[in-house]
Amino acid sequence: MGALRELRWIGRGLLFAALGFLLGAAGARGVAGLTGRSEVAQIVVTLGYVGALLGWLLGVGLWDVWVREWVGLPARSLQTQGWSRFFRFNTDHKVIGVQYLVTFVALLLLAGLLAVIMRVELATPGRDLLSARDFNTTMSLHGIIMIAVAVATIIGGFANFAVPLLIGAEDVAFPRVNALSYWIIPPVAVLLILTPFFGGFDTGWTAYPPLSVVNATGGLLFLLAFLTFGLSSILGGLNFITTIVKLRAPGMTWSRLPIFVWSILAAAIISLTATQFVAYGLLMVILDRVVGTGFFDAARGGNALLYEHVFWFYSHPAVYIMILPAFGIWLEVLTHFSRKPLFAYKLVVGAFLSIVVISYLVWAHHLFTSGMQNFLHLPFMVVTELISIPTGIVFLAALGTIWRGRLWLTTPMLFALALVFNFLIGGLTGIFLADVATDIQLQDTYFVVAHFHYTIMGGEIFAIFAGIYYWFPKITGRMFNERLGRLHFWWMFILYQITFIPMFWVGIQGMNRRVADYAPNLGGANQFISIATFLLGASFLVFVVNMVYSWLRGPVAGANPWRARTLDWQTSSPPPVENFQVPPHVVGYPYDYGVPGSVHAVVGVAGGAVTQEEAAGR
Amino acid sequence: MNRHTVSVALLWLALTALGELLVLRVGLFPVAAADEAVMVDRAFRVLMVLGVPVFAFVVATLGYSVLRFRSRGQPTEDGPPVHIHRPWVVFWFAWTTALTLVVIIHPGFTGLREIRSHAARPVDLTVQVQGGRWFWMVTYPEQRVTTVKELVLPVGRHVRFDVTATDVLHSFWIPAFRMKIDAVPGMVTTVSATPTQTGSFAEDAQFRLQCAELCGLNHADMTVPVRVVTESEFQAWVAAQARQTRTVGAR
Repeated sequence: MGALRELRWIGRGLLFAALGFLLGAAGARGVAGLTGRSEVAQIVVTLGYVGALLGWLLGVGLWDVWVREWVGLPARSLQTQGWSRFFRFNTDHKVIGVQYLVTFVALLLLAGLLAVIMRVELATPGRDLLSARDFNTTMSLHGIIMIAVAVATIIGGFANFAVPLLIGAEDVAFPRVNALSYWIIPPVAVLLILTPFFGGFDTGWTAYPPLSVVNATGGLLFLLAFLTFGLSSILGGLNFITTIVKLRAPGMTWSRLPIFVWSILAAAIISLTATQFVAYGLLMVILDRVVGTGFFDAARGGNALLYEHVFWFYSHPAVYIMILPAFGIWLEVLTHFSRKPLFAYKLVVGAFLSIVVISYLVWAHHLFTSGMQNFLHLPFMVVTELISIPTGIVFLAALGTIWRGRLWLTTPMLFALALVFNFLIGGLTGIFLADVATDIQLQDTYFVVAHFHYTIMGGEIFAIFAGIYYWFPKITGRMFNERLGRLHFWWMFILYQITFIPMFWVGIQGMNRRVADYAPNLGGANQFISIATFLLGASFLVFVVNMVYSWLRGPVAGANPWRARTLDWQTSSPPPVENFQVPPHVVGYPYDYGVPGSVHAVVGVAGGAVTQEEAAGR
Repeated sequence: MNRHTVSVALLWLALTALGELLVLRVGLFPVAAADEAVMVDRAFRVLMVLGVPVFAFVVATLGYSVLRFRSRGQPTEDGPPVHIHRPWVVFWFAWTTALTLVVIIHPGFTGLREIRSHAARPVDLTVQVQGGRWFWMVTYPEQRVTTVKELVLPVGRHVRFDVTATDVLHSFWIPAFRMKIDAVPGMVTTVSATPTQTGSFAEDAQFRLQCAELCGLNHADMTVPVRVVTESEFQAWVAAQARQTRTVGAR
């Protein structure tokens, strides 16, 4: 009973969501009358959902923690100790980080399972397991859930947990906005999981109209989910930019900022500014569906191609929301486990920022075969290929850092090293897609599928695992089982290559993507890929066992098991609510491994080593 | 040059040689049945040849470092405190920039121009293609033939396809020709190809007109067989189709 009582906020959120839905749906009847459309269901679903979302947020704690202030009442805090803190509208960045991590790792496993189901269907030519509709829904859900995982796990999870620690802050700049951006996520997940019960959706995550305007109601649920998720990203971006600019500890100058924090700043800039474009695009599709505006309907003066531009104006920068923080974790781990300074730190920062700028100027390379104006091909090809230069700097930094280092091959280090290899393949194959001549053939084939799995899975998902193993001792205060960690790494790394390398080949052989069926001559290769996928999927069981067991029973880790120099490791594991008992004072560069007498920060104990000079600096 | 650098350089050369040998020896592509397919495959091969040394360099450095610089257990000392090494940075920056420019110019710019100028040649045959859920309707306006069953083309003729869609986005793609263009409702997009050899879907699945843009339920099945025939066979087929159309019309 006590346990159930701790979940009462979730219960209240659900109750308010139900009430909100009823209110919204009732309002929708009125709106439906105004537009004179016979199709009422779409309007009811849309406004009902908006009501449910607001009800859920207010019920789960937004009302108590925040909105009460707007009507002149004192706000209440829902902070607690113990496990129940994870089930509340908690404003502690470390709790929110764990909420994000656990939620998105669960979604990662769910979407991985969807991939396995897809590969069962694709193991042989012809239709076996799924109907055409179910295949399309499975494929589309796999896509959008993985996109969400890729966008939010590092920024929502690791950045939330680690950025305030790394910059010596007590929390993020806007703790309540932070909690809000997490509690927006459960409705997104619920909507997506509900789509199969509303006819599924068959547009993939790209939601190109006119298909996304005319498909089953499941498609509307997906659009609403995507739009809501975008809101969460925008709020997250805003929060991290402000936090990093305003809350750095005294002495934490820009040239002393840990590289992971730089990567989050770069990604947050994109997150804040680019996400709005996809939000508008999705809103226009929703309006086309719900009230028949016809923005993308050629028969009513609209243009279907327009959406593709708006969509990719966000969605190409979005891949850098995914990969920049992955670069951050990557370089952070390589540095600490090579016991060497990060090679060419300032150039890497420059590379991150130039990637941010260039990322806005490449979107139309997704549209080389779309029928857009021919003169656009050349400039977009050129700008896209220029991105190789800053990305090359990141590789230079990685190789320069491990060169002649003292490499400690722990599980996080293995994942970070594998990332060099994976992202190399992902990056090089990207050139084939940036080149118009080859892209005409490769666009929409499995070559593209293999390419983006090498960048996003091989790059970012590997970085997520590097991050999980790296910060696990800090987050839980316990050590994971290193043997199981290595088993997970080698299993996943090898099967990952075996699964995705052949996809390049089947793509070149003319297998197009997002299909439930293919030419019979590719049967053998697809069977091979499917079996490899099942074995790859099994590697995640090792991970789950290790995480659950180690969190409950692992040996106590201590404050700094890796002997890393950054601030996150200079406080207890897990850190206290206020992070540092006395605010730290940064006096040097974070990666001065091997430099005699170098100090990154002075972390005093209460009443202890705080000099006058430091006190004045505060 | 210390011994580590020399070792990596040798490893790099060996890997590069092996990689280039594979690229030049292993046949990677399916049948290339049009001028355009040859151009696309050539661009692909150039990128492979340029990519191999880059791949080999990173793999050699990475592999060597992991094997040579790993410590048994937790390291007891730090590595050399090298923050930056200017000659290497300049060398790296120069090479990545040069390679990027090379790729932009060739095959990027030249490949694009080759395909464009090929498309600009006089058109021998125009085919209108209409994509709808889930069929392709092919019309030969000059021959007054319309069919949904197959796409028949004469070998050696420059064919222009005028592509559009009736409902949602589709994409016109013939793998054997390596040519693709989206079919967009309310727009006519064009793509052209010059088939260089006869062949048919029955012999090789690359001869197919395939929808390459997700279009809903039966997207995977939205294919039409392609048959490339001699000029005389094409004329005979056109005549037979015209006869059939008349018969259907008369009924």
